[in-house]
Amino acid sequence: MRRSERVRLTVVVTVLAIAATSPRGPLAAQAISQGFELERQGRVEQAAAMYVSVLHGDSASLPALIGLERVLPPLGRLGELLPLVQRALLVDSGPAVRGLAVRTLTALEENDSAAALVRRWAAARPGDPAPWREWAIALEDHQRFEDARNALMEGRHALGTATALAIEQGELEQRVGDWQAAALAWAGAATDPQQLPNAVSQLEDAPVDQRDRVIHALTVAGASIAARRIAAELLLGWEQPARGWETLVATLDPPSPEAGLALRRFAERATGSAVAVRRVRGLSLARLADYLPGAQAARMRAEAARALLDAGDRTAARAELAKLAGDPAAPAEAKSLAQSALVDAALADGQLDSAASGLARLEADPRTSSEERERLRYGLVAAWIRVGRLDRAEEALGPDSSVEALALHGWVHLYRGDLKEASDAFRTAGPYAGDREAATARTAMLALLEQIDAERSPELGAALLVLARGDSSAAVAALRSAGEHVGGGRPDVLLLAGRIAAQLGGGSQEGTAVDLLSEVVRTGGTGAAAPAAELEWARLLLRQAKAADAVAHLEHLILTYPASAVVPEARRELEQAKGSIPRS
Amino acid sequence: MKRRAFVGTVGRIGGWAVGADLLGLYPAIRQSDNPSLLIPMDDSQSDHLKAYGVAYRVIQAGGKAEWLLNYRGGSFLLPDAQSIRRDAALNGVSVAAADDGQVSAIRGDIAGMNADAVPLEKAPKVAVYVPPNTQPWDDAVTMALQYAGIPFEKLWDPEVLADGLRTYDWLHLHHEDFTGQYSKFFLIYTGQPWLSEMVRFNDAARRQLGLASVPDMKKAVARAIRAYVDRGGFLFAMCTATETIDLALAAHDVDIAASFADGTPMDPAADTKLDWTQTFAFTGGHLEPDPQVASFSDIDGHQVNAGPRRQPLGAFKLFNFSAKIDPVPTMLVQNHRDVIPDFYGLTTSFLRERLKPGVSVLADEEGAPWVKYIHGDLGKGTWTFFGGHDPEDPQHQIGDPPTDLSLHPHSPGYRLILNNVLFPAAKKRELKT
Repeated sequence: MRRSERVRLTVVVTVLAIAATSPRGPLAAQAISQGFELERQGRVEQAAAMYVSVLHGDSASLPALIGLERVLPPLGRLGELLPLVQRALLVDSGPAVRGLAVRTLTALEENDSAAALVRRWAAARPGDPAPWREWAIALEDHQRFEDARNALMEGRHALGTATALAIEQGELEQRVGDWQAAALAWAGAATDPQQLPNAVSQLEDAPVDQRDRVIHALTVAGASIAARRIAAELLLGWEQPARGWETLVATLDPPSPEAGLALRRFAERATGSAVAVRRVRGLSLARLADYLPGAQAARMRAEAARALLDAGDRTAARAELAKLAGDPAAPAEAKSLAQSALVDAALADGQLDSAASGLARLEADPRTSSEERERLRYGLVAAWIRVGRLDRAEEALGPDSSVEALALHGWVHLYRGDLKEASDAFRTAGPYAGDREAATARTAMLALLEQIDAERSPELGAALLVLARGDSSAAVAALRSAGEHVGGGRPDVLLLAGRIAAQLGGGSQEGTAVDLLSEVVRTGGTGAAAPAAELEWARLLLRQAKAADAVAHLEHLILTYPASAVVPEARRELEQAKGSIPRS
Repeated sequence: MKRRAFVGTVGRIGGWAVGADLLGLYPAIRQSDNPSLLIPMDDSQSDHLKAYGVAYRVIQAGGKAEWLLNYRGGSFLLPDAQSIRRDAALNGVSVAAADDGQVSAIRGDIAGMNADAVPLEKAPKVAVYVPPNTQPWDDAVTMALQYAGIPFEKLWDPEVLADGLRTYDWLHLHHEDFTGQYSKFFLIYTGQPWLSEMVRFNDAARRQLGLASVPDMKKAVARAIRAYVDRGGFLFAMCTATETIDLALAAHDVDIAASFADGTPMDPAADTKLDWTQTFAFTGGHLEPDPQVASFSDIDGHQVNAGPRRQPLGAFKLFNFSAKIDPVPTMLVQNHRDVIPDFYGLTTSFLRERLKPGVSVLADEEGAPWVKYIHGDLGKGTWTFFGGHDPEDPQHQIGDPPTDLSLHPHSPGYRLILNNVLFPAAKKRELKT
């Protein structure tokens, strides 16, 4: 046999052998699974061999081709993929194989071939953006951003619409860090309202130093409504809710389903606890209510009123509640909700008699839950206590023996100067009454009362009531004076006064704080007040940028009172002052 | 201090030293005449990391200190002085007074177990290699030094290439890519201001130094660091710096950088041209040829950013060395924990089969093909490589806030870093002849 015949025979035998051993159907699926598993184990060479064996049986097997696309580059053998893809194209000219071919040619830097393939593909499927998209993304993946931009431009021209491939353009500009261009591209994409969420989601990643440029691009004179709606949501997410709301409001007239959709999205995204966010949530819900029918509108308005109340915008809240009250279509529970919101508003405004009248009406309204009535009643009692109408508060509590009522009784006793009874009530109420803040306040007061020997001190009660009413400056003076009437608890009372003065800040109050705190440090002995006062003093010094003095106090505290409960806090302050740990 | 010959010498002649000790030719442990302070480093210690700072400051002030290897977690024995007690109290470090009798008992315990006492004589002068701009990731060593209160100075490429390492005893490298490819951050972070800043800084430094490309500059820096160790310096490297400094050294005449770094693609035959005789730790590694894959070579076992090659985290175990025969590795593994949860870095671990003969493995993951913590000698100096980025943040991401070590005062991973800082302070034992 001649050599050429031997070679031919060898080739035929080899092909037959491969065909006989090439997996097909279920076997091919099994081979693909094995390939994945080999990849997962990092055995990429074996995985490549497995995928190639599948292609011997099915030259257009997409899982095998894509598997090779994953594993061949790390092996430096991407060139082997090209003939396999070209063979696949002979039997499958679908977008997946064509896309793979474009990616492979681009990765191999066969630029003319890639361009020719894309143009053939586009000619075969006019109006389909896929060829241009695949090409641009492949170029981007190889850091060829300018080429990718040109591909998108060519595609846009071929597709014949100004916003074609705008999403891809936006992603490209974002990737190269041109956020302004990305914003403009996304504004084009968002002319389709369904793209608004995507646009916002992509652009909100803009670095802080780029955000002004993004907003400027989206709100410049002549900017589209879609662009300004994107800007509104971005501003909301970037902690400028009021500016966001103003930007959105300017896009709402005339009313349209798209405007309603934009309002709903804005309201749904305004979920933070900051006052400004709550306010714009309330405003957007109120505006959204105008778009909704009957009962739905009433519920939305009630929710808006609640948000506006939470934000402290009682004028706007009342306007919504008034609309609600006069709405015959409003369901009963919405009206009840409005009524209780009005009581909340009156409480927040300090109109306690009005709140009491509103509450009396609710007491007679079976649609209001007992829990809601109770919440409002305790709120009213707490408000009376704060304004010093202790008898009225006690009368409203009546024979109620719940832990909530016990806690409130404790404050009544305290402000009357009945320290022992206050302590007993707080202790009995424990941590269960009210929210966490209320429980913490009771615990802190109990800790103070435990340091005081006297069972009764009207001076201290009065001073603490002044503090509760929010007159901190007067409370500092009153507490300082009350300190003379509480025996061994004097350092703790002065410490409280010093803390308030330090919080108030300002020259004279800080001076008072230093006087009080230094006196506690000097005279506090071995009690808990002295180290706590020194820590407070050090913090005041740190706020005054007197780090060296603060460090001296913190070191003195740690060394003098090693067993004090405030030592860990002092050590942390010390470490931060020295720069040993990051500032939290 | 220029790498007192202690470490290498003791490491090599440990057997002789012990032999001499047993023959009574010289006392293994200095006898104390005065009351002492013991800083226990077992679970009774309230702040393990700051304890290193207390010991450092004692020797920095000219005081004597001893490191009690394998005794209660690697405790420190210090002279009892009011200033030291004050320092410990301010830092929340537990100390216990020990009179002469108690010190004798401790020494007796040490003599009878796998333990030893190493005098610490001079505080090493520490340099940290770090670019001048703020980087969006934390640096474990810098944080450990700051937390423990150990002073250090920062230097970067221009200083290194101007022989600036000459005056330092200890050099730390962290998340630096000595292949000059900016850790391949282009793949994910293109457009981020910090990356642009990084490129700008490096390019400015390259121009200032008159070098053709950033990869060339990094290779020159790698060679300068190698020369520093060769002359007797102590090198400690973590994360990417470990793998890439060896790649840069091996590639002294080969282009291993992708085109985005130097304008030309990697030499297709780079793998075959690497010169592993120049490296610290590794040999026979294969470069990652694909610029699109965020990996440098197959030296790293975990391949955190290489898609399907990524391996899950386990835990690594510290080896137990003979304190009297192998004091150097013993110092480096002092800890109150033997098994430590692993943590990722761009280089997390080192494949065992890529280690040069003679490299000491200090910690590995049992049953895994990789090791975590390695040590070796080069010329008159030593180096230690520790894989991973932040021992208390196993998945540290770019942009994450720095770890607050006051929340991890007992971190066994950070202890390993601080062992390395004190290790150059150890006194050479003279060999009796």
